[in-house]
Formats: sequence, C-alpha cells, structure tokens
Amino acid sequence: MVQSDEELCRQVAEHNAAAFEALLDRHQARAFRLACSILGSEADARDVSQDAFIRLYEAAGKFDGRSRFTTWFYRIVVNLCIDHKRRNKWWRKMVPFSNPDDDPDAPPVDPPSPEPGPESLAIRGDSGRRLRAALEGLSPTQRAAVLLQTEEDLTSREIARILKCSESTARVHIHRALAHLKKTMRADD
Amino acid sequence: MRERHLETEIAPYLRGDLSASERVRVAGHLAGCARCRADADAFAAVLKTLAIDAARIPEPDWSAYRAELHRKIAARRDRLEISRARWRSPRLAWASMATAGAAVAAIVLVLMLSRPPQPGVPAVEQLAMEDAMGGADVGLLRNYPVVEHLDLLENYDVIEHLDEVTPADTANENRS
Repeated sequence: MVQSDEELCRQVAEHNAAAFEALLDRHQARAFRLACSILGSEADARDVSQDAFIRLYEAAGKFDGRSRFTTWFYRIVVNLCIDHKRRNKWWRKMVPFSNPDDDPDAPPVDPPSPEPGPESLAIRGDSGRRLRAALEGLSPTQRAAVLLQTEEDLTSREIARILKCSESTARVHIHRALAHLKKTMRADD
Repeated sequence: MRERHLETEIAPYLRGDLSASERVRVAGHLAGCARCRADADAFAAVLKTLAIDAARIPEPDWSAYRAELHRKIAARRDRLEISRARWRSPRLAWASMATAGAAVAAIVLVLMLSRPPQPGVPAVEQLAMEDAMGGADVGLLRNYPVVEHLDLLENYDVIEHLDEVTPADTANENRS
C-alpha cells in the first residue's frame, strides 16, 4: 500500500530513515526545480532545497497534519528561497546575474502555438534568457506565487496557504507578476 | 454603470481556478471587452512560456545530491552531539558555567559602575555623612544633663514663630 506524504512525515518525526528517503524520492525534483526557478541559480537551488530537506528531517514533528504535507513543505522551500534572495540582494547588485542561456550555441526556445494571437506571437518569440531576466524584476513573493502556479500547478488558495496570506492577496501577487512579465517581455521586442 | 476591467480574476480564469458563477461572469466580460481579452491572451502566453522554461531546468545528479544532503545532515548531527556532550561532561559543564557566570558578573559590574547615580537615591558619601552627624547627635544626648544647663538647647519652633508673638503677649509674660 502506498503511504501518504503525511504518514511518511509522521514516521520521519519518529526517526524512520526509510520514510525520509521515500519523501526525498517524491519531492526532491519538485523542490529543486521550484528553488531553481525562484533563485535563478542551480547552485543556490541545490543548497536551498537541501536545507529544506534538512529542516524536514529535523522538524518533521512540528508538522501538525492540519494542512497537506506539500503545503507545509513548499512553505519551507519558498521561505528559504525568499530569505536567500533577501540576504543576497546587496551582493547581487555588485555581481551581474549569470545565466546558462548566455551560451550562444544553446538551442533557441520557441514553443509551437496552435492559436497564435498578436500578444502571444510577441511573447512566444522570447527566449528563456529574456524570461528569466524579466523574472529578476519581480519581488521574491511575486515570483514564488507565479512559479507555484505555473510549475506546481497549485490553485491560488493553495498558494495563499504556502505564502501565509489571503487568497485575494495571492491573486494580486500573481496578477502583478504576470502584468510585469508581459510588460517587460513586450518592451524587449 | 460600466463594468470595471478584469484584473486578478484573469489568471485564475485561465487556469480553471474560479467558481462556476465567477467563471460565467469573467467569460461574459471577456466576450465584450477587447482590452481584457488582450490581457488574457498575453497572460496565457506568459504562463505557457513559464511552464516551458521550468521544464528546461536541468536536473542534478540525484545520487550526488542525496549523498551531499546526507553528509550535511550527519555534520549537523555531529555538531549537535558535540554540543550536548560538552554539557554532559561535568568538568566542561562546570567550566562553561563558570565562564558564563564570570562573564555575567563582569557585565553587571561594568553596568553598575558606568551607571550615573539616580536622582532621589542618596550617594554612598552622603549616607556616610548623615550617619556621622547622627552619631554626633547621639553623643550630645548622652550628655543631656550637662547640656540642659548650658542654655545651648534652642527651641527652633519658637524661633521660627517669633515674629507672630504680639507685644501684648510679651508684656503679660513680663508681668507674670
């Protein structure tokens, strides 16, 4: 029988190593991908997502089961990412943001579109590099909100729980993020 | 009255994250509002680009990732154990407590010395002077039988109210 995340978390709290490995199997890729999207750096994402698993390992007993495990765990990931970005804000001003897509030999990304509207055509011509540059202009919370929606396929209610805000505030974060991305990416054309 | 443009409802609408009634209202608005339709089109494109971009994030070598994670967990556990062992060892625990106690005492001493005397609280010198004066008074009272005949005792209350004594009172006193 497949055990739920919540049950595994309870077992981690009782120092069950196998349960911890099972949660790692299920969530390591999503945690890393989410951290990488928010932080824009694979090395930072590696450190921060590992920190999130260390918190899980050490504080599994604090999971009270009132919310889903994923909500609790992704709140840890997102909070660590936001803290990391705030801590490194001054440093990022000194060192330019490096990007793997700066490689000119990298294959271009131009997703096929079955129904290209005028706005879509303008945006879909952009590369991932420009998208990430536009993401840099978002606040950590806006970035987390929009990425939780697109990458983790979470509803605005679930995002609100992770960000510890109301659903309407989460929707405002998402709207502002999308409006900024739309504006920035169109301005680059 | 003209309906306001859509804002925060667009993204949830595109993702099917609205209730049935909200969905009908937003769809109705989009059908009649070119500006909101353009926003919805643009947001859909941004969301799609974000999703595609996320799929391009390269995955790390998971075995190396997990080995590193387990090393970090073990290192933290070791640090915690060393810290606990320090408190469990009586000699180290006493040494740590003594050091902490000395530090606290030093801080308290520095604070006390650097603190100016508070108004209303007499300084040590003032208390010593009052004590000496009190002692002198006690010595004087021990020799009261001698002192009472020397007319040295003064009734300060009388002196204080001398100007209130009328000349008639003084004359009566003289007559008696």
